[in-house]
Amino acid sequence: MVNYNFPGIQTDKIFTASGNEVKGYTRKGKVFLTIETSVSDTITSMCVLGGDLILCSGRTITCYRDLRESNSYICDDRVLDIAAFSAPNSTKVKLLALVANKGAVVLDNGRLVSHVTMSSGPSRLTVPPPPHASDVNAFYGTADGSIGLLAYEDSILSYKCLMEGRGLGSVVCMGWFINNGTTHLAVGRHDGSIQLYLVDVENITEKLRLKFTYFCGEPVTSVTGGCVGSEESELLASTFSGRIFALRSRRQVSGVLLSNIPQDALTLRRSKLEVEVARLEKQTANEREKYQRSTRSLTAGLSAPPLLDFQCELSGAIQDAWQEVRITSAVSLDMLFIYCQRKLDIQTDNAAVLSVCSSQGSHEDLLATVRCQAGTRRLWIQIRYKTSSMRVSESARVMIYALPAGAPRVARLLTVRLPILSYYSQHENTEIENEPRSWSEVSMSGSFSVAEITSWLIDILPGDLPRPASNVVFARSHTLLKTILICRYERGSARFRSDNISTIAVIRDTLSNCSISRNIRAEITYNIPDECCSEAFNQIKEDFEREYRKYKDIVLRKALGSLDLDDTRVNNDSPIICEKYMQVWNNIESDTNVTNFKELINTIQQWYADWHELCLNLKDYNNNKIALQKALNDCNLEHIKTILINQNSTQT
Amino acid sequence: MQISSAQPVFKLELNHKVTPGIVTIAKFDGTHACLTACAGYDKIIIHHPHGSMVSGRAQRSQAHGEVSELNLSQAVIALAAGPLKPDAARDMLLIGSPSQILAYDVHENTDLFFRDAPDGVNVITVDNFGKYDEPLAFVGGNSSVQALNWQGNEIFWNVVGGKVSAMITFDFDKDGENELLVGCEDSYIRVLKNNQFIVEIPETGPILCLSPVTEVRFSYGLANGTIGIYEEGIRLWRVKSKQNALALQWSGETLACCWNNGRVDWRDGTSGRVLRRVQMRTSAAAMLLADYRSVGAPDLVCVSDKGEVMGYPPYQENTGFSTAKTLPSEEDRQAITELFNKKQALLMELQHYEANAASSVFSLDEDERPSTAMPTNTRLQVAVNASPEDQCLELTISTNNDTIVRAALVLAEGIFETGETLARHPHPAQLRSILQISLKPPRDVPVDVHIKALVGYSGSEQFHIFELTKQLPRFSMYTKALPSSVCTKSDSVVSFRITERVQRICIWINQNFLLDEEVELQNEEMKELHLRLFCLRDQSLLDMEFGADGNVKFYTTDIRLAGNLIQSLAVFLNLSDLQSVAQFPETEKKLRIEMDMASQVGEIRSRLAAETAERAQLITALLPAAQDAASYDLKEMLSRYKEVIMLNEELLTGCHIRRATQEQAVTSLKSLHTILQHAARLRVGKYSKAVVAASRKAVKEDNIEALIKILQVGDSA
Repeated sequence: MVNYNFPGIQTDKIFTASGNEVKGYTRKGKVFLTIETSVSDTITSMCVLGGDLILCSGRTITCYRDLRESNSYICDDRVLDIAAFSAPNSTKVKLLALVANKGAVVLDNGRLVSHVTMSSGPSRLTVPPPPHASDVNAFYGTADGSIGLLAYEDSILSYKCLMEGRGLGSVVCMGWFINNGTTHLAVGRHDGSIQLYLVDVENITEKLRLKFTYFCGEPVTSVTGGCVGSEESELLASTFSGRIFALRSRRQVSGVLLSNIPQDALTLRRSKLEVEVARLEKQTANEREKYQRSTRSLTAGLSAPPLLDFQCELSGAIQDAWQEVRITSAVSLDMLFIYCQRKLDIQTDNAAVLSVCSSQGSHEDLLATVRCQAGTRRLWIQIRYKTSSMRVSESARVMIYALPAGAPRVARLLTVRLPILSYYSQHENTEIENEPRSWSEVSMSGSFSVAEITSWLIDILPGDLPRPASNVVFARSHTLLKTILICRYERGSARFRSDNISTIAVIRDTLSNCSISRNIRAEITYNIPDECCSEAFNQIKEDFEREYRKYKDIVLRKALGSLDLDDTRVNNDSPIICEKYMQVWNNIESDTNVTNFKELINTIQQWYADWHELCLNLKDYNNNKIALQKALNDCNLEHIKTILINQNSTQT
Repeated sequence: MQISSAQPVFKLELNHKVTPGIVTIAKFDGTHACLTACAGYDKIIIHHPHGSMVSGRAQRSQAHGEVSELNLSQAVIALAAGPLKPDAARDMLLIGSPSQILAYDVHENTDLFFRDAPDGVNVITVDNFGKYDEPLAFVGGNSSVQALNWQGNEIFWNVVGGKVSAMITFDFDKDGENELLVGCEDSYIRVLKNNQFIVEIPETGPILCLSPVTEVRFSYGLANGTIGIYEEGIRLWRVKSKQNALALQWSGETLACCWNNGRVDWRDGTSGRVLRRVQMRTSAAAMLLADYRSVGAPDLVCVSDKGEVMGYPPYQENTGFSTAKTLPSEEDRQAITELFNKKQALLMELQHYEANAASSVFSLDEDERPSTAMPTNTRLQVAVNASPEDQCLELTISTNNDTIVRAALVLAEGIFETGETLARHPHPAQLRSILQISLKPPRDVPVDVHIKALVGYSGSEQFHIFELTKQLPRFSMYTKALPSSVCTKSDSVVSFRITERVQRICIWINQNFLLDEEVELQNEEMKELHLRLFCLRDQSLLDMEFGADGNVKFYTTDIRLAGNLIQSLAVFLNLSDLQSVAQFPETEKKLRIEMDMASQVGEIRSRLAAETAERAQLITALLPAAQDAASYDLKEMLSRYKEVIMLNEELLTGCHIRRATQEQAVTSLKSLHTILQHAARLRVGKYSKAVVAASRKAVKEDNIEALIKILQVGDSA
């Protein structure tokens, strides 16, 4: 990894880190410094400020002063990025670090002085240009695509979102682009877009203004401003597959600069490349022939092409419980073959052809192929558990075989595990436990280690889990219902609290399954408050009402649509439909046609069912279930509440 | 190569919705092109930007000054236009409704003809055809094609194997005369010449659109999202998309394709590569070629379902759509980019070979071998066998050593229930070096099966891909019956005479069947051949007897199979005409039932129509009476309104019944046509044509006995 320094601070030196080694280069490209550091993991980010060198590897932040290790700090989780700030009138540096699943922390002299939990999942930091370089503040980019500003003032670390994600890809890298006195924040995203946002240097807390977007088709790995070859400002970017290119402002490209390169130079370059490609072609043909020959020989050699380079990540659930698998490849893809032992719903990119095959024999398994368009290097597929009344208590392992389009003809196997509680992808501060919610609880005690329980939780929760430590506490929230899950475990005992009874039921089932299958004796107890369903319903009541209205509107719109109204009739002076209907009709384009209403109904019914199951109270359940369903479908709030509360009175 | 977007040269709004697919552009006055479209159920709109010409039946639209509306009392199913009337040099409008066809002279405001179309109307085209010196209108119905002249007289009629979904005229055999290309729902493109189907092209899905490209090429689009181009009957290329193609047009040396969702792309004619792309704001309704700007060259006119019309000039190679000159260095730049890409791909490949060579120091032992390895001399073998027990074809894939087949993907179109692939991924406990896959091709057409097998070891992280293609012959689902089966021959038989040596027949059998061992004559003297086959689909028997005297008999209960065999044999032996005698008692019985049904339905229909008319008249009388009554007697008014409601309900019920009978009529007509088609396919050439002509006559006369006779001997005489 290369760390580009901000212009004006230390433009004459370049520092690079690879593995556990740090090298320094002078302006002319001479190595003037090589340090073999003592960190055990690979260095993931680095920061140089004056005589201070700060390295992050895994969970450790190590500070060097004048090339001697001065102090180190171990965070709760992986350190994603770091920035250093020199305090005025002091030789000490303050550090601002992003910690996975936790948010941001400020360290002073190896001590944690402040921290903030951020649910958007920040991934990158960049320090604003002078005069702000001395204040402790930095722009951050997040996994959900948003950009904001972190500031440490008066011993309080706070953050402010300056640009929402709006469905854009996660931020992979950030840099600065300065041109004609204006300062732009350059953002490279995983979806292949490079964006320039205008930043008001005087007032950096202002909202960002998007000025420019470029799409390069593959994840951007780094962006930075600068100039190569000419005096004009350029934006340099590198990509996942190893391409490096520069962008210039449109005015310069269309104007004089393009013709700056003389025609004969271009032709020369082209012919040079042609010769090189021809040589490579010959060489490749030779090697290919050699390989082919070896396949025909009687003595069995070994064909072991190196592993193809793939990136595969699974997101937490979004709309309708879909979970997205994003696959990025260094070579273009021909096909994907997806296998799972369980039937799953699946969908993919519009450009690719998905075909779900018939199952094998009597097995209920998923076999699907995705045929990609020529040149596809990035692809997403969305999968989810089939909605059925059965509660899922075992996570599914999805095997994805990626078949590249060209040589070598090998298929790489990628495996993803589909977590059961896929909605719990947002990180929360554990202090949320103090909120007055109706907490249900399940606890487990037995002879299991922290590593074991972490491995069981991998089946349940999406995203990265905290590294096993002697005592782990973390909180997650449901992206749709906003319910909370707090996990607290140590060797031999674990406790899970949630205001969502279904979550507790799933955890109970899964943990007992896991402990039985691994032959570990464990005792599971749970404690369900009587009012948990009604309390939980109160929390989502407004959402429920809103979704109900939206649902009704969509139904109405569908009916209006089949009336075959054309615009002339609608826009006439004498409208033929009433005002309310007009409003609904006119909203057609503006509003999206998705509603979670049905899903909410299912959730609440599931709560009710789980409550009865966990409290072993099946009296009147069937009658009430039907009544509840009716009340939910009609959005009869009073009636719903009565049923949800009544359950409790019958018990007591 | 980057794909760029394009700018339209003109753009206009019709302010009317447009029903997808029912759009045409015609010169009703002989000089000015007018866009004509169906704007919902029974309304036709005509856009005339070159001055008003509308009088008579058409009314000026309130929504748009240059649009006239034409209201029909029936749903509009198809629109077409062409210079049908020989003496008038202007286009006539042809309007197809579910059971009628109207030819209308817009300029003169007169009807050319109006006639019933009992076979239904799906598509209409107007053009010159064959040796006829006047343009004809072709009407594609439910499994029939009909040609009409300008007076509405039937010129010829023929049967096809399903609902006609696309038709164009095209000089298929390059004899200077147009043939008719008919695309049907049964996934065949048929070429009709001289009222005789000369070529059948099997495709992998129902045909949606056809369009001529050059003298020798035409393009096609299917309901499974495939589009492609045929050159002289051979497929040049095809690509598949998730969307369905709505229209294809050849514009400026590129194939423009308009997809349902409103995307339009321009593709290279020889490879199908996308050159330009635009996206309309809403779904597409039509894409036509017309000189709408009166500049002398046709533009591509795209119409969206909201009535937005956009015109694109023909695509031009270097400049694309922009008129601005590109810099001379642009070509070099592009070449450099492409060379860079090529270089990277080559380097990648080379890298892999090098790494591979480096890794060959590992041994093949289970513990030491890397998770990506495989012996270099691994080979993959593929065999296809009939499996009578499982009633399918068994595709066996095996390696020649201890490597296992982790998974296999079979890619083929039209033979799987879902999608285009069949994948097998054995349970880890069942991983072997051999893998078997069952195939069941549902139709008797040759199929290319592409196989991708992933080979490695059970714990591998990366598998080697082996790719193979296997061709299944046309009659692969028939296998040699076991000698033990003593079943008697079927009583259904078709017999005919050929003058060919049995040796040639053997070649035909070996080419078109997938038998465990090839059929060979025991000695040169042998003049006869008897073959007993067994169908894997339904276990029925097929007996083929080739007699020494040239008499051939096919015993099978499946009349369609008999037709397929005869057609295949005729093509192989290059027979231009073949007459046959057929005995298919089952089919004859079915024919009688269908004919009965057809005449019954006809009666019911006319009775119901009369009833409906009567009730409708009553309502029109009662309604004003009820309104009048409101002024003097509320009670009276109430009772009258009640009557109106009752009558209305009766009318509605009547309507439902009529719809049901109509549906029934259409299905029985379709199965009737299918039987006639099968009968025609038992003969070749002029005899086949005679069957169609004679059966058309017999159906018109409702003569069941004659029809049976035609089925048996090929003629009613």
